[in-house]
Amino acid sequence: MTDVERLFRTYNAALVRYLTRRLGDRDWAEEVAQETFVRALRQTSIQNERAWLFAVATNLVRDEARKDMRRRKHLALLAEEERDEMVEPEETTLERAQEAAMARKAIDALAEKDRLALLMREEGLDYNEIAEALQLSPGSVGTTLSRARRRLVESYEALQKSQEEREKNAAS
Amino acid sequence: MQHPDEGTIHSWLDGALSADEAARIEAHVQECSQCAVAVAEARGFIAASSRILTALDNAPRGVIPVTAPKKRIDPMVWRVAATVLVVAAGTFVVVRDRGSDEQPTSVTAGRGILLEKRASLPEQAPSAIGQAPSVGDAAAPKAAASKALAIGTARKTVVSDSSSDVASRDSKAIASAGVMMRAGQRAAGPGYAGGPAPTAPTLVAPLGVTGALTMDAARASEPLKVIGTPQRIGVKVTLYEVVPGDTVTLTEQVPPSLTSTVVAGTAAAPIERQASGKSAGASSKAGANPPAMAAARNQKRVDEALSASAPSAALPTAQNSLGNTVNTISWNDSAGNTLTLTGRMSKARLQEIKIRIERERAAAAAKKNP
Repeated sequence: MTDVERLFRTYNAALVRYLTRRLGDRDWAEEVAQETFVRALRQTSIQNERAWLFAVATNLVRDEARKDMRRRKHLALLAEEERDEMVEPEETTLERAQEAAMARKAIDALAEKDRLALLMREEGLDYNEIAEALQLSPGSVGTTLSRARRRLVESYEALQKSQEEREKNAAS
Repeated sequence: MQHPDEGTIHSWLDGALSADEAARIEAHVQECSQCAVAVAEARGFIAASSRILTALDNAPRGVIPVTAPKKRIDPMVWRVAATVLVVAAGTFVVVRDRGSDEQPTSVTAGRGILLEKRASLPEQAPSAIGQAPSVGDAAAPKAAASKALAIGTARKTVVSDSSSDVASRDSKAIASAGVMMRAGQRAAGPGYAGGPAPTAPTLVAPLGVTGALTMDAARASEPLKVIGTPQRIGVKVTLYEVVPGDTVTLTEQVPPSLTSTVVAGTAAAPIERQASGKSAGASSKAGANPPAMAAARNQKRVDEALSASAPSAALPTAQNSLGNTVNTISWNDSAGNTLTLTGRMSKARLQEIKIRIERERAAAAAKKNP
């Protein structure tokens, strides 16, 4: 097994999940993850593999977003068009779809650094790896994460509350 | 010890602190109720944020569409569409024919009349069948109807054909036409496939068998043999084979109001085409054929009826070219039904056959009700 194969087998699932949560689209996430591993091929040595992979993936997303805003807008339009035709995952119910939409809103409401730190932490990166990937000081990661978690939960709960109120109003 | 800040508590809960620092925090939280509450809250945030982020895993695919997935259309939709189109085609034929129909009774002719013209058939039948492959894409009802006619005519040619090699050729062509029709039914032949196609395979096989039997010339002395009962609305049609290659048609008129249409010689269409250069379908379109009307009323039998209808329009040409005479005799049976016997033979011969038919029918009735 080559190094890249090992890297792929070890980190692909977490990287794709991280990117999916970050981007909101699994295909796009897989594409970026693959590109990340292609970049890893070109590296002669990587000290902290996981931190490096997550950092490169994050930068790829950022660079692509910066370079190709037009494409993203186009894709967003396409996604809108395709939504009706999309076969949702089998377990998707209305409730789950609402939860996903609120989660997306809540995570998008976070600052970029907080969001990435939180997503990386959810994939098991330790504080040093997060610090390395996001170029933070290790001591600030705890603060970043605590802020991100609090804001995410508060934002989500606020969305939930307004949703419940809308449903009540609709019922009455 | 000072109360740890929220970031430190999260670091402690995430296991990011050194062992010494973690031990200090742990000791403090056990003593400090305020910090214990903060730790509980932090645990709640960690758990809740994990749960919220899990909801993001339900992300859709396809935002980057490599190839847009094609919508699959239920085969049933094609069948329904094909059926509707065939019904529309039949209705169109009926409406059109009614408008120009000035002959309440068509000339009747037995299928056997034209069976005698075997010599001209081998060249014509394949060409008639040759139209079949385009049936699947029939876009216009007229085209569908005329092509159905071509198929029906060609199919019956086998019955009358005594040349075994031609028969086998025709059978192959018919088989391919059947396949075409089945394929049309299965895939997307919206024009034709839905209606007649399902009946085609079942009709082809018995007729083919009959044709093979007909070709067995050794059985010249067999009694009257029923070789077919073409379906008609309002009339009961029976095709008898007197001797191989010589048949008569018996038509019983069930409702008196309907015209007495009789199945016509099936091989006439190719002959007519040969003479006039028109297709059998064209003759059907141009002529006012009650069988065609009947066909439209009964979609399951549309190809049969259309094929039968063509020769009635083409009959004069066929008769002229061969110089034979079609005779018809009519009588009423004991139940008051009008029966018509038609064949290419003298009336005296028809009278003989009439007697034989009545005798056989009486015998059959006696068997049923002893």
